[in-house]
Amino acid sequence: MTSLNRLTAAAWVVVAGSLLPAQNAPQQDKPANQVSVNQDSLTIQDFGKRVDEYVKLRKRAQAALPTPKPGSSAADIKQYQASLAQNIRAERLQAKPGDVFSAPVSQLFRKLIATPFQSNDGGRIRASLRHAEPVRGLTLEVNQAYPQTSALQSTPATLLSDLPKLPPELEYRIVGRELILLDTTPNLIVDLLPDALPKSPDGR
Amino acid sequence: MRSRVLIPLLIFFTLAAASQDNSGLALKLPLKSKSVRFAVIGDSGTGDNAQFEVAREMDAYRQVVGFSFVIMLGDNIYGGDHPSDFVRKFEQPYKPLLDAGVKFYASLGNHDSPNESQYKLFNMGGDRYYSFKKNDVAFFVLDSTYMSPQQLTWLEDQLQKANSAWKICYFHHPLYSDAKFHGPDLDLRSVLAPLFKKYGVNVVFSGHEHVYERLKPQDGIYYFVLGNSGQLRYHNLRPSGQIQNGFDGDRGFMLVEVDGDELYFQTISRTGLTIDSGVLSRQAKPTTAEQSPK
Repeated sequence: MTSLNRLTAAAWVVVAGSLLPAQNAPQQDKPANQVSVNQDSLTIQDFGKRVDEYVKLRKRAQAALPTPKPGSSAADIKQYQASLAQNIRAERLQAKPGDVFSAPVSQLFRKLIATPFQSNDGGRIRASLRHAEPVRGLTLEVNQAYPQTSALQSTPATLLSDLPKLPPELEYRIVGRELILLDTTPNLIVDLLPDALPKSPDGR
Repeated sequence: MRSRVLIPLLIFFTLAAASQDNSGLALKLPLKSKSVRFAVIGDSGTGDNAQFEVAREMDAYRQVVGFSFVIMLGDNIYGGDHPSDFVRKFEQPYKPLLDAGVKFYASLGNHDSPNESQYKLFNMGGDRYYSFKKNDVAFFVLDSTYMSPQQLTWLEDQLQKANSAWKICYFHHPLYSDAKFHGPDLDLRSVLAPLFKKYGVNVVFSGHEHVYERLKPQDGIYYFVLGNSGQLRYHNLRPSGQIQNGFDGDRGFMLVEVDGDELYFQTISRTGLTIDSGVLSRQAKPTTAEQSPK
């Protein structure tokens, strides 16, 4: 069971518990971990809302563009990518880091990411990241393109299974210790989360 | 008496014709009728001379082998996704193959834009992971830079439903490799290898490492790494006990022929040297008990 699943299951337990008739409810304060899980569940909901808002904005941005079809020419693909990026940028002129990864979301994501690193999977995830052509030293900005000439570091499957599910337009990408939320078709950085990955034992 | 002499002579000349035709190519494939024949390239999209030379050698073999499609193991277009990149790093080098009607089925590497899935000549149908079939051979094409839970669910569903005799998976990052630069992707292995075993995948092709490797079967599955069709990491192999054959001295490509329960392969360098060849037998399908959850 992934930590996100555990979190969701625990949240259900908390919700189910709150639905018990009053006479059956335990006459004691909620344990601290239940409060934390409940809060985490709300934070994930908040993240989901922020992502939904972005997707709505994106739909507005693409509404006026011709729908791309599989089997396009390279020129058509590039034109669509550029137009969509331009329209999204125009809709998000005030976009800044933290719009999606708010402070509570950031804190929770760091916790969710740290969990598998601290488990038995940790060594394997680190090895996978090292072997996947690590991308470092990029200066990234919200609402700007991911550098076209830079490779995409693979996001370990174990890590992805621990993070909230995203709509198909978006994906999580790793750059150094940063987690970025990338809109793949326009190749735009929606938001970024610094220090998302725990430092490796050698301090990197 | 006459037939005792004639028949062996006929067999001899037939075999000789198969292995060394008029083109002077040293062919190791049997070219059986109704077989499935394809070529394999990986890490090809550099646009430099070496890629063109590999492509020319591929076309020379195509004229003899008649393969009708090519599978691409990722890093199809390096260094950008401007339309001119597609021309210089794909359409021009493989023009003779494209003109001959050869289809390319791409997988995405870490240097590829996900938008390549829309590109007509990569035949991905707009999907970053997809499957297709050629006679009794099913191909499962994965996006290994982003192995999301959704993709894993899709793969399991596809493998479970597939009833082809052969199941071949290909994607960019190798699960096993003896190359020094990257090495195997252990996290990817932890999620994919159990599915391959459970659903009887026969062969796996990957790129990423700019060398050629044929690994010893892992859990009975045949693994190849071919990431030197454009790029090359010279003398990068550090062979261990898990490697059966490797080559890190030049670029190359593979030819594959599937006929019945046999898969024939021939790996050829940019200069036409046969690096490796052989025949693999189809493994027994997993039993229902092996497929059921523990």
